[in-house]
Amino acid sequence: MEWNTTQHVWLVLGCFCVAFAPRLIPLLFFRTRKIPVWFNEWMRYVPVSLFTALVVKDIFITPDYVVSIAGRAPEMIAAVIVIGIAYWTRSMAISVVLGLGAVFLLAMVV
Amino acid sequence: MGKDIAKSREKLPYWRRILDASLPVDLSYIPIGLACGILLNASGFNVWTTLMVSVMVFSGGAQFLIASLLATSAPMYSVILMMFFLELRYALLGSSLSKYLHGQSLGFTALFAASMNDENYALNYLKFSTDKKFTPREALHVEHMTLVFWTISNLIGSLIGSAIHIDLTIVHFALTALFLYMIVVQLKNGLIILICILSGFLAAYFMVLTKSTLGLVISTLVASFIGFMAEASIRKYFPNSGLLRHIKNPAGSPEDVDE
Repeated sequence: MEWNTTQHVWLVLGCFCVAFAPRLIPLLFFRTRKIPVWFNEWMRYVPVSLFTALVVKDIFITPDYVVSIAGRAPEMIAAVIVIGIAYWTRSMAISVVLGLGAVFLLAMVV
Repeated sequence: MGKDIAKSREKLPYWRRILDASLPVDLSYIPIGLACGILLNASGFNVWTTLMVSVMVFSGGAQFLIASLLATSAPMYSVILMMFFLELRYALLGSSLSKYLHGQSLGFTALFAASMNDENYALNYLKFSTDKKFTPREALHVEHMTLVFWTISNLIGSLIGSAIHIDLTIVHFALTALFLYMIVVQLKNGLIILICILSGFLAAYFMVLTKSTLGLVISTLVASFIGFMAEASIRKYFPNSGLLRHIKNPAGSPEDVDE
């Protein structure tokens, strides 16, 4: 089935709605209400948990949602390198650029 | 010397400071945005629908998913449903930023929410938690700066079309590296390291279980809640525990502003 442009436009509008609602509702809810202390303390652990989950997804989970390390050696080695660089330099730009360089070189070698 | 750098930074024009703050994401969006534009073009999107999707959805993961689902000719409702589960994690981003955006106007909140995604959230969360002077308005402009880089890269990708072959998994590692960096700078004590490891295992478990990125949402909620409960219990019963002791920072960057 080939989609035409009108269907693409509807698809984008539908995606916008489901992407916008989860982004907006929590911010709207806490815009005027007082945020409970326990909620803030809980939310402090959200970034580190979420980023770890995203990294695990990127490195260990296949597009069919199976855990696999087959062919992921370049990413795994580069991830260790990035952690080291980030720990010692504390620079986001250096971590990203050297990480990308490392995975590129490792993919050619491994 | 540090003071001189800080001084010269203040002299920079406003847009330059926003560009500096968002640069790591801006730069990594160029190859990923190009790849995304090429894929959307291959799955039938023209330049205008590519422009629409990059401004209105503004999420690398979501746009890659659209491209790959269109290639398999999935029905529209299933694409939108999968999108919903993929985007549900943004509710967490909004919740954890809400204390910094408290009391903003309705219009500002809507505008801020519309262009918030994983990457500019990472930038803004770090800025808000380390720089007391960082304002919601600056955070919004950081979002828009990353949006400009993303959209232009998408459009160029769409225009050059299928003429170029890009290895997606390698390009995607730019984002993985960005998230790894974000994790490392937040590892301030032993408990956070434990929660981080726990979150990794939970994420794999729940994603395999749910066969979708809904697993990301569940594992993040569970891991962060365990972290919160563990911290509260340790403070109450083992106030001298080494788990909450600060880990030395080798680069000596400024410590977080505690609220």
